[in-house]
Amino acid sequence: MLILGVESATAQVGCAVGGHEGVLASTHSARGKRHAESLAPQIEFTLSQARVDISEISVVAVDVGPGLFTGLRVGISTAMATAFGLGVPMIGVSSLDLVAFPLRHTRRLIAATIDARRGEVFTAFYRQVPGGLQRVTEPHVVTPDDLYGELQAASTETIVVGDGALRYREKFSSITKVEVADESLAYPSANSLVALAHARALREDFVQPAQIQPLYLRRPDAEVNWQTRPER
Amino acid sequence: MTDMMNPAPAGQTILGIETSCDETAASVVVDGRTILSSVVSSQVDLHARFGGVVPEIASRAHTDLITPVIAQSLVEAGREGRELTAVAATYGPGLVGSLLVGVSAAKALALTWGVPFIGVNHLEGHLYAGLLEEPDLEFPLVVLLVSGGHTMLVEMQGHGEYRLLGQTVDDAAGEAFDKVARYLDLGYPGGPVIDRLATQGDPTSIDFPRPMINDGYEFSFSGLKTAVINHVRKNPDVSAEDVAASFQAAVVDVLLAKTVRAAEEVGATAICLAGGVAANSELRERTLDISMTSGIRAFVPSRSMCTDNAAMIATAAWWRLQSDGPSAMDLGAHPNLKLPWLESA
Ligand SMILES: [Zn+2]
Repeated sequence: MLILGVESATAQVGCAVGGHEGVLASTHSARGKRHAESLAPQIEFTLSQARVDISEISVVAVDVGPGLFTGLRVGISTAMATAFGLGVPMIGVSSLDLVAFPLRHTRRLIAATIDARRGEVFTAFYRQVPGGLQRVTEPHVVTPDDLYGELQAASTETIVVGDGALRYREKFSSITKVEVADESLAYPSANSLVALAHARALREDFVQPAQIQPLYLRRPDAEVNWQTRPER
Repeated sequence: MTDMMNPAPAGQTILGIETSCDETAASVVVDGRTILSSVVSSQVDLHARFGGVVPEIASRAHTDLITPVIAQSLVEAGREGRELTAVAATYGPGLVGSLLVGVSAAKALALTWGVPFIGVNHLEGHLYAGLLEEPDLEFPLVVLLVSGGHTMLVEMQGHGEYRLLGQTVDDAAGEAFDKVARYLDLGYPGGPVIDRLATQGDPTSIDFPRPMINDGYEFSFSGLKTAVINHVRKNPDVSAEDVAASFQAAVVDVLLAKTVRAAEEVGATAICLAGGVAANSELRERTLDISMTSGIRAFVPSRSMCTDNAAMIATAAWWRLQSDGPSAMDLGAHPNLKLPWLESA
């Protein structure tokens, strides 16, 4: 079984190919060309580096967010079309799961964050359980002040990870028992995506391409403004 | 352009994808002239209450609809992906978030099936809608391209050879319809509702201005829109049907006067309509009248070929494939993409 993982929910865009033997090849870039320009060439390059023909891919995994809407949709459209074109199933994984994944060996509480811009972050908390991580809160969008409050209230050894944590590093690291993970772990990685998807693929935890749902966590501004119009 | 000594291989089947605005569309066309399928999923209901297309809502809907629409277009065409010659998508002009959905999907499908990807200019797609339905149209051809976002008069001198004769200096024709409809509280989109109301009204009842009707090929609809609003403000009891009919008559007069004059001046043997506003009944009828009253052949594509669709994209892609070959896989969306104009004579 070979999995193609596509990840573009943050400033970073990446893809990886792998399976039972782990990740065979991957590329990530966090600056330069925009997601839509780089993703298809990255997939071509990654597959050629791994000496994998695209027809050998049996599952397409994708980061479904939360994240930056436009980048997220580039990744999802690309991944859905690839799976549809190949006639293979898909696995959607949250960007917050991907950011927490590299910290799975810590006993500390993990607060995964993704920068939501406009002075907010997407976040969810995780804890180590036998065999991996368990998400202990639903993904939600908060202000840094609210997250600060949640971290203080938890009052336990916590590591905060992701580009949302980095943007407000000083704020969060000022809390006792809280540490902010460094830049190397800031973005969801396509390698983590392939690893997490592999575990789910073994359980045949698949969806069809048309069933992939982006996790926006925010409604379009126009809808929000519509419902808060004074005359309503 | 097709080389006469080295013609394109017959039976080139292209999947076209169109997501530049609020229609998610996919179509399979053979050799730029035989439509095997043309699927259009309109989001108009999602945007109606906002009185216009909301980019973020459009992008979300495209993401939800793109896979089912492509799947349906292949099923209706009876073709497998691997039987295709190429996959094409609109890469501009349009809403950037919407364009990216179609471009990303098209590139991924091309990669998956091992076929070329072709990026298509949406306006070039509109220009080819007429030639798709009527391949006998001869160059030079004058095309009146009128939609919610564009109003332009184009001389097609050959395949891929376009000269801009004139365009709007302010509102697009479709925009004027939308704004007048909104002012009259008729809802969105304005084109179809004004078209319907106008059939009950008297087009000669109100003498609205025909802006710049006798000078040049530029269009201006902003003043006409203001004249309509002022008239209704001064005459609150005026019949909406008469306003709709008189406004529509003024727009059509201006559009066709310039189109006919352009055809005469460039020596075109034919004129052709394109774009969403070309679905307007009055414009269609009066264009067909031109064939009767002048020596110019007038072609009016079917309504579904005037509004946004992917068959026109697959057709333009086929011509582009002959002239330029495939596009690069690092092509992105270009929201302000222009047509490759020839230098004005
Ligand atoms: Zn259009």
